[in-house]
Amino acid sequence: MKKKGLGSLLLSMVICGSLLSACGGNSNTSSKNSADTEAKAKVAEIVFALPSFNRIPDDLSKVTNAINAITTEKIGVKVDFRLFGPADYAQKVNLALQSGEKMDVFTTLGQFSNYVSKSQVAPLEELLPEHGKELTAILDKDFGPDILKTTTMDGHIYGIPVNKGMALPTNIIYNADMLAEAGVAADSIQSVEDLPAVFGAVKQKLPDVVPFGPINVNPTDTGLVNWMKGASKVDYLTDTTGVGVVIGDNGKVVNFYESDVFKNGIQMMRDWFEAGYLQKDTATTTITAMEMVSSGRGFSFLGGYSGMEVGKQLSAQVGKNIETKRIAPFYFDTSAVNSVTWMVSSTSKETEAAVKFLNLLYTDKELINTILFGIEGEDYLKVDEHHVKFPEGMDANTVPYTAMLSSGIVGSESLQYQLEGIDWSDVELKLKENKDTARSPYFGFIFDQGQVKTQISAVNNVVSQFLPALVSGSVDPETIIPKFISALKDAGAEAIIDSKQKQLDAWLAAQQQ
Amino acid sequence: MTARRKSPSKPLKKTLPLLILAGPGLLYFLINSYFPMFGVFIAFKDVNYAKGIFGSDWIGFKNFTFLFQTSDAWIMTRNTLLYNLAFIALGTVVSIIIAILMSELLNKLYSKLFMTGLILPNLISMIVLSLLVFAFLNADSGFVNHSILLPLGIPEINWYSEAKYWPYLLVLIQIWKTAGYGSIVYFASIAGIDKSIYESAKIDGAGKLKQIRMITLPLLKPTIIVLVLMSMGRIFNSDFGLFYQVPMNSGALYSTTQTIDTYVYRALMQLNDIGMSAAAGLYQSLVGFALVLTVNAIVKKVNPENALF
Repeated sequence: MKKKGLGSLLLSMVICGSLLSACGGNSNTSSKNSADTEAKAKVAEIVFALPSFNRIPDDLSKVTNAINAITTEKIGVKVDFRLFGPADYAQKVNLALQSGEKMDVFTTLGQFSNYVSKSQVAPLEELLPEHGKELTAILDKDFGPDILKTTTMDGHIYGIPVNKGMALPTNIIYNADMLAEAGVAADSIQSVEDLPAVFGAVKQKLPDVVPFGPINVNPTDTGLVNWMKGASKVDYLTDTTGVGVVIGDNGKVVNFYESDVFKNGIQMMRDWFEAGYLQKDTATTTITAMEMVSSGRGFSFLGGYSGMEVGKQLSAQVGKNIETKRIAPFYFDTSAVNSVTWMVSSTSKETEAAVKFLNLLYTDKELINTILFGIEGEDYLKVDEHHVKFPEGMDANTVPYTAMLSSGIVGSESLQYQLEGIDWSDVELKLKENKDTARSPYFGFIFDQGQVKTQISAVNNVVSQFLPALVSGSVDPETIIPKFISALKDAGAEAIIDSKQKQLDAWLAAQQQ
Repeated sequence: MTARRKSPSKPLKKTLPLLILAGPGLLYFLINSYFPMFGVFIAFKDVNYAKGIFGSDWIGFKNFTFLFQTSDAWIMTRNTLLYNLAFIALGTVVSIIIAILMSELLNKLYSKLFMTGLILPNLISMIVLSLLVFAFLNADSGFVNHSILLPLGIPEINWYSEAKYWPYLLVLIQIWKTAGYGSIVYFASIAGIDKSIYESAKIDGAGKLKQIRMITLPLLKPTIIVLVLMSMGRIFNSDFGLFYQVPMNSGALYSTTQTIDTYVYRALMQLNDIGMSAAAGLYQSLVGFALVLTVNAIVKKVNPENALF
């Protein structure tokens, strides 16, 4: 109680302080010129929805005010800031879009073509040259000029990809203490072939520990599939069904589930399952791999992470000594980029203000960090130019404002503060890898699902029926894969493949001109 | 009847207070049930948000085709119908048995106590129930595998990947959850039966079973018919929680747990297509409507007194 009293005292001091400073700012600008005050007079209002991967705070008003102080001052835009959990986010946004409620700036969370095909997002190519100059320049610098191709359909730019480490090589994430206990040297893990020996050693030494964490938690954990995509250069061609993919660079659209890449990957998981490296109910468990490791019951799992400092971050999060090893490269396809894209709603009446705000979201250090970390002195303390820490006695879960885990979604990563202890060079490495990582030759191709959406809905159903059991190794691939494939055929997989092949051929022809 | 037709103004005066009383209720139905019906035309449109719902193109029955796209169409229709038939038939029988047993309990306190206990499962949310079931059935540490099957020397069963057990499990769970609540109306009708009939039957030498067979059941018949008719209208709808949450959305079980609702939900989660969702909803409503009319017509033919309308 006492602590709370102190906290609220501090809080009110901070508010007073910010109010005073805001006033100071106002008086300064008003003396500048009349054009500025005119812009202030007609402040545009936009709704900005951000997914947060941490606890949603009860009271957002302070952070909203802090954001508004920046945006009204710099671009004359007032922001109605909304924060939703990752599970609710798409639903809340869709609901707002469908009901015509105000919703101006939102992110895709993997639904890019979906939003575009239903005309739910506004084309931005006319607004960007005027209001998004810096934004375009910064993306050009960090990714190369063709990055916006991944969000362009029929000549219209519909989204702005987040400027962060996009290359997410598959890592094996493991408990380093357990590895040492099992007597295995970390350097002996170089590729996926080395894993069974490690699992065997762990299982023998620590019989109560599950060597390999859940590979499927509904909705499907894609660790194994991502590993296959990276290791064998599979491009899913922007839909998530996996029915029409190109493997390698031969330009031939095939059913991924009929390929040897898929069969071998599933067989590998089946072998692990039969050797007892996974739980028995791994196909249906609701416990995430992270929870398993965090509780000390699990040893390892697969995950895609950029940079080399993930281990430190995860260690802090799960309270165990976590290390990671990259075991497969990443393969850049279109959806790798456009799955986290900022968009402006097609029903927005303030598209100009929205683009101005987006521009600031990628270029303004103060704005980005307020959105992520909240208010300095209350939610975080600065350590040095790039690093922050939590106030005394608080952690990522107990600070008043907790959106910092969503850093991969907001604007430019190179402007974001990092938590104390994370090597700054890692941010630079991520940006470098964005440029260096192998790109699919079909990078920039976007599949228009319009013609085959009934087939896609049917195919999705078949995939969710068979894939979880297969990727978790809990069924015999010899008998189940043929059933899976014939069910896909019944659901119209051929039509999807044909439609995709046609569009891809046309796209390739257009590229050569 | 005839009097009302002759002079319409006078009864209006009479019924006006009643009409005013009914007003809020009618308004509620109008706003909540009738206005949204205009939304059905979304089922025939290719919704494009830039053009707006009214401006979008008409596409005829195209939105309906996805329901019948796969071989699953047959499986999910079969599942939906058979499960609901089982729920209606077994649920009615169990509810009536409970109601009769309750009515035979002369001790008021016990009767209240049991009633509360029987209604309780109905108040548990499906999410909580799914976790309860999971605690019983999960492969590694579940109660059934761990404390029943293993001590008996029976090899453990991986419940969540064996489709064949689920028809029984789901029916059992549904009856456990709803039968107590369903028995209330029957219990009330039994309480409304004139006690003197039983007394005279007793004097004539009828035993308990005979009393039930000859008095209680025939007098319950109208109630049973009304309740069954009402559930018939929902025979194409399924309890989403029961079929989605309780089997933990396990893919391996779809052959016996997939119903129209779960199919539609899974198929449209990724597509976010309200046209197709509206089509599925309309399809279910129309079939339900047709079924109510059919069953009512049959009842009317057999015994006009018992028909709903």
